Amino acid sequence: MLGGRLRRLAPLAGAVVLLASGCAKKAPQTTLSPKGPEARTIANLINPVFLVAGVVFVLVLGGALFVAIKFRARDDDDFDAFPAQVHGNFKLEIGWTIVPAIILAVIGALTVSTIFTLSKKPVAGALHVQVTGQQWWWEYRYDLNNDGKFDEIVTANDLVIPEGRQIALTITSRDVIHSWWAPALNGKKDAVPNHRSPLTIQADHTGEFIGQCTEYCGLSHAQMRIKVISVSADEFTKWADNQQKPAANPTEQAAVEGWKVFAGQCTSCHRVNGLKDPSAPTKDFAYPNVVNQRAGVVPNLTHLMSRTTFAGATFDLRKSDDSADGRYCKALGIHWADKPADLTRCLNRVDLEAWLLDPPGRKPMAPGPAMSPASRGMPNLHLTGQQIDYLIAYLSTLK
Amino acid sequence: MSTTDAALPALPSGEPPRTTRPGGVFARPQTDTGWRSWVTTVDHKKLGIMYGTAALFFFVIGGGEALLIRIQLATPNGKLLSADLYNQVFTMHGTTMIFLVVMPIGAAFMNYLIPLQIGARDVAFPRLNAFGFWCFLFGGVMLNSSWLLGHAPDGGWFNYAPNSGVIFSPTHGIDFWNMGLLITGIASLTGAINLIVTVLNMRAPGMTMMKMPVFTWMALVTQFLLLFAIPVLTSAQFLLMFDRLFGANFFKTAQGGDPLLWEHLFWIFGHPEVYIMILPAFGVVSEIIPVFARKPLFGYPFMVFSGIAIGFMGWGVWAHHMFASGIGPISVAAFSMSTMFIAVPTGVKILNWLATMWGGKLKFSSPMLFSIGLVTMFTIGGLSGVTHAVAPADTQQTDTYYIVAHFHYVLFGGALFGFVGGWYFWWPKAFGYALNDTLGKVHFWLMLIGFNLTFGPMHILGLQGMPRRTYTYKNGYGFNFWNMVSTIGAFVITVSFLVLAYNILASRRKARKAQGVGTGRLTMAADPWDGRSLEWMLPSPTPAHNFDEVPVVRSLDEFWHRKYGEEEDGRLVRIAATEDVVQKGTNTDVHLPSPSYWPIVLAFGLPFIGYGLIYSLWFAVLGGICVVGGIYGWVMEPSVDPDAGHHDPEPGATEPEPSGEAAADEEAALVD
Repeated sequence: MLGGRLRRLAPLAGAVVLLASGCAKKAPQTTLSPKGPEARTIANLINPVFLVAGVVFVLVLGGALFVAIKFRARDDDDFDAFPAQVHGNFKLEIGWTIVPAIILAVIGALTVSTIFTLSKKPVAGALHVQVTGQQWWWEYRYDLNNDGKFDEIVTANDLVIPEGRQIALTITSRDVIHSWWAPALNGKKDAVPNHRSPLTIQADHTGEFIGQCTEYCGLSHAQMRIKVISVSADEFTKWADNQQKPAANPTEQAAVEGWKVFAGQCTSCHRVNGLKDPSAPTKDFAYPNVVNQRAGVVPNLTHLMSRTTFAGATFDLRKSDDSADGRYCKALGIHWADKPADLTRCLNRVDLEAWLLDPPGRKPMAPGPAMSPASRGMPNLHLTGQQIDYLIAYLSTLK
Repeated sequence: MSTTDAALPALPSGEPPRTTRPGGVFARPQTDTGWRSWVTTVDHKKLGIMYGTAALFFFVIGGGEALLIRIQLATPNGKLLSADLYNQVFTMHGTTMIFLVVMPIGAAFMNYLIPLQIGARDVAFPRLNAFGFWCFLFGGVMLNSSWLLGHAPDGGWFNYAPNSGVIFSPTHGIDFWNMGLLITGIASLTGAINLIVTVLNMRAPGMTMMKMPVFTWMALVTQFLLLFAIPVLTSAQFLLMFDRLFGANFFKTAQGGDPLLWEHLFWIFGHPEVYIMILPAFGVVSEIIPVFARKPLFGYPFMVFSGIAIGFMGWGVWAHHMFASGIGPISVAAFSMSTMFIAVPTGVKILNWLATMWGGKLKFSSPMLFSIGLVTMFTIGGLSGVTHAVAPADTQQTDTYYIVAHFHYVLFGGALFGFVGGWYFWWPKAFGYALNDTLGKVHFWLMLIGFNLTFGPMHILGLQGMPRRTYTYKNGYGFNFWNMVSTIGAFVITVSFLVLAYNILASRRKARKAQGVGTGRLTMAADPWDGRSLEWMLPSPTPAHNFDEVPVVRSLDEFWHRKYGEEEDGRLVRIAATEDVVQKGTNTDVHLPSPSYWPIVLAFGLPFIGYGLIYSLWFAVLGGICVVGGIYGWVMEPSVDPDAGHHDPEPGATEPEPSGEAAADEEAALVD
């Protein structure tokens, strides 16, 4: 009776496995499709373990089913005719203590050697980047000249790396514990305040790899996303050169108006390198004192339009959906805003306007007074539609 | 020992000793019926039933929270819960299920069964036992009162610093988490001391350690784990409390505090906690499977020692929760290996259960089905556990739904399946009627299917990269289909428990009708399953005094061997009719520990000290008065109620030994 029911379940299990493999095709954040040597090392270790675990699974569950069916009491059994009263079998039990121990010892040995392989010091030519988690976005600082100071490039949301080159990340946090994870490239590493944890990644080819924060970090943990963009070495050099340039003053009328809005409303928190005072365009902008406390806690916007995402990589800055525009813009990669026509076509104004209108309404955040250390995230600045238009015109000049 | 408290000793002067009752308030309560008897009881059986009932109440809350989570995640961009509310709900789901459901269900079984299985009349410290229960209940209620008082905890059950600090979690939610669990921690700790002393000192004569039922063994290991694990959590919680309420700097990074300190302390508690939840369930199925296979447990010593081994090794694996924390390759390698090898004693248990079934005559009554459910489902959880003992793989899996799948296979597929099987198994013993077996089977199959639909797909979701503790997910990640399947599964589980609820009510109504007792006491045969251990010797439901006569134990599975003997060729023959070897429960000449008002009074003050620390110290003063008053009353009330007189019409007169043989036996046990 029981056996019959269980046997009927067997095809169901098969169907589950088929469905699982079928549905895995469009899973951009999957751990099962490594795109770099570190992730591949992990996959090469775990795939045989999955296989062994699968065999044990089949043996034990099959064994349980077999026992349940073969030794079931039958209706015509004499209730008082007892089965043989076996109390144990020392040799057998020693056997099934030792055999799993040996299997696990083998897996353990391979595991230990992989642990040390993955924690090797970075190679000499590695590119060093400091990754700083904070509620709820990631900041990336590059050490291009290898002097131990991460001071050449400050950017956010997108980590742009050259293909085929090892990237040595130093991961830390400014507030609570986060975890940096791009599964196609490597396993995750926690960003712990006051700790600096190393992680190396390397991308086989150009492309975009997504991930997200995986240590619960409060309110908007689900919206603290990660994007790694791998580009050719040449492109990376060009990108890096551009990133180090200060922003130029805008010239177009709407953008100049936006510049004023920006200087008035946004500079309590945000920085733009080389920002000039809109009322005295040759003078450096004098940030209010508060920025010294908040500097770095919010994204530096100097080269905003070279990024493909905003607000902790929660929203696309560059259209990337399945529409014709999205496909075209995605193909432009990090150069989507280089030409004015492309920028107009590809800028995701819908989400950007909505964001500027009401940031905490678009992404759960807990903004407090700008000075307060408890303030987390962007407040609603009650900008008018006109101000938002100007602001977007200005932001569009930050390439 | 309070269970055997005899008469007051004679005074040297020859005067009869004076029993004093300082002020009438210190008289011990005498009711043994009605709600007062439940509030003042110190009877381990009533307390066991109360643990179970309270745990079921919290199970409804925690299950409701699970359904909210699943509805929110059924589709991408779910709108049922805000991020803030979702964070509270998942925090409270985990905290409730662990501290207020699985642990107390285990406590229910251990309280009810340990004295019965070792042939004792009660636990060593009956009032302490009652105090533990009330601490658990009030702690749990205080924790949940946060829902009504503004903001529930939102730091996750693991409550990592510094996210749990005032700056990052400014509401009182975390304080409720802290205070509530400090109070339930008192319950665990006093319970551990109590049950350890009970098992070590109060076994029936002849019951050596290696003749103890496996359930009692696993309970003993569990209580030692609690004894050492709970203080670690308590210490960590005190540090957090000092940080949050008194401006200390243990975990505040800006002041040089270290969040990894919390991680280590929490998981030094947190991993043994896993075994605290699963070992009692292992004990339960180790009792059930032999009964329904009609064979003794295969390799009793291996089962005992593997349980002890799990208990020891459980202390050396905590950092596997921290493989991604940056603790360095040497620590990672060491904890990876220790975690790998804890699978060995666990695997031994699985194979020994299967070997117990091998060659048996398996009867698939509900308890047996749920036990096989544990053996198979736990195996899946154990195997996925090995895949994240492989530390580099764990860095891909940790904090994804793959982990959620893993620990639900361990705690739901393991602990809960075992416990539900235990309900069906011991229900007659506790309540005097059996649950309907057909409905039990319906419950089992629905629960098995629902469980696998809910948690099976989470393996896939995790490997596809869906992180835990996220209130929503986007389209286009391949998460949609399996999340919907999982949500459907959660509702199937819900239906399965509704079947159980119906079964309880319907079976009771039917039994009442059959016995014609109206709302009176139901009774049934002592030994409905042809059981093996001492509790089946007692009438169902167990009488207040447990044993008419404490049995002298000669072998493992003592009761079984009083019914059956083995012939020379190993064949079993019945040597006595069950009716002749069970006890009648008719002995009225037994002195039992008297009920007491003070455990509940003392426990009632504790949450108010908690509220006081959160809101206004005046509450703490009130709570403090309650606690001090409770302690005072506890100390001052007579240990023997002079008016109870089960056996002694005249206080102070020369005392006949209460149930002379039994007392002598217990003394023998103590000497043993």
